[in-house]
Amino acid sequence: MSSTVTRTRLGMAAAAVSIVVLAGCSSPESSDKASAASCEPAKGKVTLQYWNAVPGMEKVVDLWNKKNPDIQVETKNISNDQYGTIGNALKAGKAPDLAQVGYDQLPNLRTQDAFVDASACEEAAAAKSKFVPWTWSQASFGDTGVFALPQDTGPMALYLRSDIFEKYDVAIPETWDEYAAAAKKLHKADPDLTITYFDPNNAEWFNGLLWQNNAKMYGYADDKWHVTVESAQSEQVAQYWQQLISDKLVRTDLAHGSTQMYAAYQKDQIASYVGASWGYSMFRDNLPKQAGKWTIVPMPTWGANGASGNWGGSTVAFMKGSKHLYESVKFNTWLNTDPEALALENELGGLYPAATDGLELPSLAEGVPYYDNQKIFDVFAESSKKVDTSFTWGPTQKTVNLALQDAMAKAAAGDGTLSDALTAAQDAALKSMQDQAIPAAAGK
Amino acid sequence: MTDIATRATRVVESPAGRRRINGGGPRAGTVVAFLTPFFLPFVLFYLVPVGYALWQSVRVVRRTGGQYGTSYTTFGGFEQYLEVFQNHEFWASIGRIGLFGIVQVPVMLFIALIMALLLDTPLLRLKAFFRITAFMPYAVPGVIAAIMWSYLYSPQLSPVVDLLKGVGLEPDFLGPGAVLWSAANVSTWLWTGYNMLIMYSALQSIPQELYEAAKIDGANNWTIAWRIKVPIIAPSLVLTTVFSIIGTLQLYAEPAVLRQISSNISSTFTPNMLAYAVASGNNYQQAAAISVVIAVITFVLSFGFMRLTSKKAGL
Repeated sequence: MSSTVTRTRLGMAAAAVSIVVLAGCSSPESSDKASAASCEPAKGKVTLQYWNAVPGMEKVVDLWNKKNPDIQVETKNISNDQYGTIGNALKAGKAPDLAQVGYDQLPNLRTQDAFVDASACEEAAAAKSKFVPWTWSQASFGDTGVFALPQDTGPMALYLRSDIFEKYDVAIPETWDEYAAAAKKLHKADPDLTITYFDPNNAEWFNGLLWQNNAKMYGYADDKWHVTVESAQSEQVAQYWQQLISDKLVRTDLAHGSTQMYAAYQKDQIASYVGASWGYSMFRDNLPKQAGKWTIVPMPTWGANGASGNWGGSTVAFMKGSKHLYESVKFNTWLNTDPEALALENELGGLYPAATDGLELPSLAEGVPYYDNQKIFDVFAESSKKVDTSFTWGPTQKTVNLALQDAMAKAAAGDGTLSDALTAAQDAALKSMQDQAIPAAAGK
Repeated sequence: MTDIATRATRVVESPAGRRRINGGGPRAGTVVAFLTPFFLPFVLFYLVPVGYALWQSVRVVRRTGGQYGTSYTTFGGFEQYLEVFQNHEFWASIGRIGLFGIVQVPVMLFIALIMALLLDTPLLRLKAFFRITAFMPYAVPGVIAAIMWSYLYSPQLSPVVDLLKGVGLEPDFLGPGAVLWSAANVSTWLWTGYNMLIMYSALQSIPQELYEAAKIDGANNWTIAWRIKVPIIAPSLVLTTVFSIIGTLQLYAEPAVLRQISSNISSTFTPNMLAYAVASGNNYQQAAAISVVIAVITFVLSFGFMRLTSKKAGL
């Protein structure tokens, strides 16, 4: 025993020494203000690093690599802990040239000084006209800088098991009130059947629902952020789902995309799915036996307010430290505006383009076999037009989402309500901004 | 009987002691050659990260102007630690694993001890087989074990749940009240064999003459086990307890995996998960402070336990 104690004491002494050494050689980790980098083409062959989480993206990149021998792109799939991987790489100064970043995480990474402004590259600045306006505005932070190019969006819709709705003679719901009534009817007809599931671990999905109801969570004015996660609009959404949970009309035990969730769908225990455009390939690839049974209709609306929601969607960001901005811009523009690339991304990864031309792709005008040849992208195009374009994300969204999820889980377990979850998210937003020295206040 | 135990301890310890006294002093060069392979990684992968964490934990983020601003870190004294101490999520997570440890560690070590004693009895056949099968779970990485168990817990996929439903039970292994114990079960499954092996090795080093002497004195197998074997292997019980205390405080993989199928495990369920959640929110300095506090608590508890037991048992 005594030898262990000695060893530990030695260890502590060594640790103390190493702190002194570290303290001695460190310098303040200040960072320069994001200024436009220069845009010089490289001499000779260049290899770019591109990190993403899109299924099938390596095939799109193969296509580019075949056509562009001088600008080769290497991909890395970071779908497992996407932002943790990017954050750590940034901290280590080893970020890739390009990385997929969701709209909701852009401000977060911006406050970490993750991006380089590519506006010095003509092609990047000119790309503005090619994208759905709100996506460009979010990716450029409403500024003249170009920090990322939009890739896809997630306009929301309602996926329905038309066979189940027909079997129990339930009309397709157009409003949330009708949806709740349908939930009651279906569950009454078959106690093992619920209309959908509420995943307490999915703040992104819930944010999409808040977005639909014009619940703005953040604003910026008078040199500070204004946090309005708690508002009359968000309260309305929270109380609606709370009611469904309390009445046990929705399941709360299924995590989005889990084996358990697919199993429940497979067993015909769930009749619908409130999802985004990219979910179309997810259902097609994971529930092949249910081909022909699904129909996609517009998302239920809040009475007279016909707005739709958006869940997810990403950009491809220009990461700080890239030595090949010119080439990065060339690849990034191709990746997100070229019809051939966009069609492939839609087919393999389910991406719904953010480029305006992309919405006119011939492949998006066709019926999709899995959905009984329904022209499902017409529904998403309509939804996309009805998304509130002024919605903005906060600079500490990840922390806020975690707090929201933890509190949503409590509500699902009957320990608190979804209104409490909004309060928890509001508090977490203010606290996390304070921790990051970002000036913030509650209310508008 | 205590007398026998004390005598036994002396018998076991004396050969080692003699060797230490008689061993000749090796040359300095040899010492360095043998220690470098240990110390180099120890410094690189242990001391340097610990030092870095301590350094980070006394920093705070500041920012200059604008909507997104430019951040830099500066010395902040004990600001991060103050926040940790005021963070009720942190204390809730400590309380949770405290409860976990108080139940799981004794249960696991008790089972391990029983298994070790059973393996050590002359009555048992197929010892090698039982030793291997008991140890096998330890060879399974923690994450894999948790994934495997998560299938057994899952109401949608589990044959166990189906079976229990068949006899009229409605188990909810992932419910708010049960999920902590479901995680504890995974840990117990993983680590019992490992602990058993440490205890079994200690039992193996007890000289057989001792048992013969005890039998002549009229002791049966039960008495030999509880009055001779257990006291003699007390140091290994202390060791496994200390390992288990450390393991409990570092609990991460099992609840993190179960979290993917149960919303009743929050992102701050254990102190390590809290540190991870905070770090993933870019608050590396706060995460460093949390890690340091966890390390200090681990240190205090494990050494506190060792001192306490060594004083009591005179080890």
